[in-house]
Amino acid sequence: MSEPFLRLCGVTKRYRDQAAIDDVSLEVAPGQSVVILGPSGCGKTTVLRLVAGLDHPDAGAIWLEGRQVAQPGGNIVPPHQRRLGFVFQDLALWPHLTVRQNLDFVMGSVRVPRTERPERIHEALALVRIAPLAGRWPHELSGGEQQRVAIARALVGRPRLLLLDEPFSSLDPDLRAVLREEVQRLHRSLHLTSVYVTHDREDAAVLADRVIEMRQGRTVVDRDVSRERHA
Amino acid sequence: MGTAVAGFVAFCVLPLAYMLVQPATTAGAYAALLLDARQRVLLVNTAVLGTGTAMLATAIGAPLGLMLARGALPFTPAWRIALAAPVLLPPYITALAWLYLGGSAGLVAALTSRDLLSGWTYSLPGAVLVLSLVFYPLSMLTTEVALRRIDRRLEEAALIVASPGRVLRRITLPLVAPSVAAAALVIFVLAISEFGVPGLLRVRVFTTEVFTAFAALYDSGLATMLTLPLLALAIVIAVGSALLIGDRLLATRRGIQRVPLAFTGWTRLTYGWASCVLAVALVTPLAVLTREALALSSMAGILQGSGAAIRKSLIMSVVGASAVTLLAVWLGYGRARARRRTGIVVDAVFLVLFAVPSTVIGVGLIGIWNRTGMFGGIYGTDAMLLFAYLARFLPMAALALAAGIRYVPISHEEAAAVAGAGWWRTSTRIVLPQIGLALLATWTIVFILAFGELGASILVAPAGETTLPIRIYTLIANAPTAHVAALALLQSAVVFTPLALLAVMATRGTR
Repeated sequence: MSEPFLRLCGVTKRYRDQAAIDDVSLEVAPGQSVVILGPSGCGKTTVLRLVAGLDHPDAGAIWLEGRQVAQPGGNIVPPHQRRLGFVFQDLALWPHLTVRQNLDFVMGSVRVPRTERPERIHEALALVRIAPLAGRWPHELSGGEQQRVAIARALVGRPRLLLLDEPFSSLDPDLRAVLREEVQRLHRSLHLTSVYVTHDREDAAVLADRVIEMRQGRTVVDRDVSRERHA
Repeated sequence: MGTAVAGFVAFCVLPLAYMLVQPATTAGAYAALLLDARQRVLLVNTAVLGTGTAMLATAIGAPLGLMLARGALPFTPAWRIALAAPVLLPPYITALAWLYLGGSAGLVAALTSRDLLSGWTYSLPGAVLVLSLVFYPLSMLTTEVALRRIDRRLEEAALIVASPGRVLRRITLPLVAPSVAAAALVIFVLAISEFGVPGLLRVRVFTTEVFTAFAALYDSGLATMLTLPLLALAIVIAVGSALLIGDRLLATRRGIQRVPLAFTGWTRLTYGWASCVLAVALVTPLAVLTREALALSSMAGILQGSGAAIRKSLIMSVVGASAVTLLAVWLGYGRARARRRTGIVVDAVFLVLFAVPSTVIGVGLIGIWNRTGMFGGIYGTDAMLLFAYLARFLPMAALALAAGIRYVPISHEEAAAVAGAGWWRTSTRIVLPQIGLALLATWTIVFILAFGELGASILVAPAGETTLPIRIYTLIANAPTAHVAALALLQSAVVFTPLALLAVMATRGTR
């Protein structure tokens, strides 16, 4: 078996003496799409925050591409050096920047030369089919358009790992289905490794190569569904 | 609610409306006034005073706000209260302390046997510095609240791809910039409205000239005309800041949440800057006043001579704070439950009225109440002081309480209504108990401000009657410095005692 792309080993995280996740271990292979499924408060978002480096584990360790990035009590590699894309549940589009500027901030941060940026931004927006909206402000967009901007922003820096935290939870069922298909298309065309957190089994059925179910901070099911889906 | 709105119109809107429709301010008379070179000097001085104070106060206060919100300062609540304290001292008290330090007969001159600082103290830059040391807490607190209100995910989303320094520059600071700018505009308005500091430091600006025209030259027409440029400037700036800050004016602090972008390595810098500001803005003025007051042989004589003024100030401040809070709670309720657009308009009205300079309010109140008949019976009584406090502080108190009331979800009232409670029962049993601390804080702040009010009081106070600020202001030229310093310290003590009690209660309330 090849080296796992992402590895969590015995990771525990406590908030005010209560374990949000407890002794969680998992491995994600390169190019794999893992869906973490579970009810609210089961710790699935905490897993994403630890992988991103927005929190640090109280116990256990995290490796990305064979390099340890976090240890108990602190992060070894800060979030911006992990080369991740993160789609937040509430999207977190920067309200004082236009769509183009939202993406340009990422480009500047990962040191893409200025001359290359317009093309890369156009490419990312075209990928999620909102290229004409580049000059708009976030508040001028519909919910679905904002969702696409958040995905484009996560992809424009060409991350090694894409993390999605219930990005469709606030959308109506029709739009949710459309965007779910879009994300699946992107995942396949870009060969991304991704971890997707949701409480919706339909999301899992469409997006997952592998489903991990969590309950009360622990993983209770770990199932490879790629064969079922391709059957 | 109807009574509150009627009171608001009578005490806050009418004096302003009176100034705007004055027949004395004909276009011809006004054009002649504007062509006068002395008036252009007034305009330049006033603009420099406002702009300079806004810039310097922001330069001092905004970094402190950033440090309080994101630095690793131990005992942050205590630092916050100490650093905010200078804004509650009446500005003329701070100016008085700086006069005793840098004036021609001041401490520096006595120690060096040379008059090194008086030319600088009695100057426009001196007034800018003193007012900046008084008003910087407004910028500090606004910046801190704005930083705490940022949705942490906006910064986290940036931290995924950018270093903390870049996130601070490109995401955090631009997000708080409108709030910092709005605070600067409010400071500008307060600076150009200030009467005591330029008066003491002999800087000619519109507020001092209004007072001179009215109280020394007895020319109410000139006084009224001189108020108009000031009023126009205040209105433009207040509307601008209301539009700039929009609905955020009423936002309350969010609950304690983990800060994604904390600058824990800034402890030494934070300590250094906070200590310097505290030493210059609070410790030095109080130390200078204390040193002057120590020359006094007996405090009893001072208390005897000024006893009536102290009693009057205490009684009128208690009455004023109670009346303002009583009306403000209903106005605040109306604002908190208003639709978004209506709310922004109401905010703008409150801000404009809060921005009306104190001497302008004084002239407006005199214009309305100084006449024969029923109004004449009221004019010349202590009620005029109460009206001045209402006119000056009701809009600000309504804004503060609206912020507190908006924190109470509307669903709480709906649940009470469904359970059969009427309006009165819902208000007294559901809404008011939830804003107890906000009510207490508003009352305390209005009491402190009323206790130090000078610009309007000095114009409307009944003949022969005086408040402590008026007595201090008039004694400055006629009494020994020890006497005046002792009274100023007494006033400071009265200001800081309720503030300390409020701080203790707030600390207990957050546990």
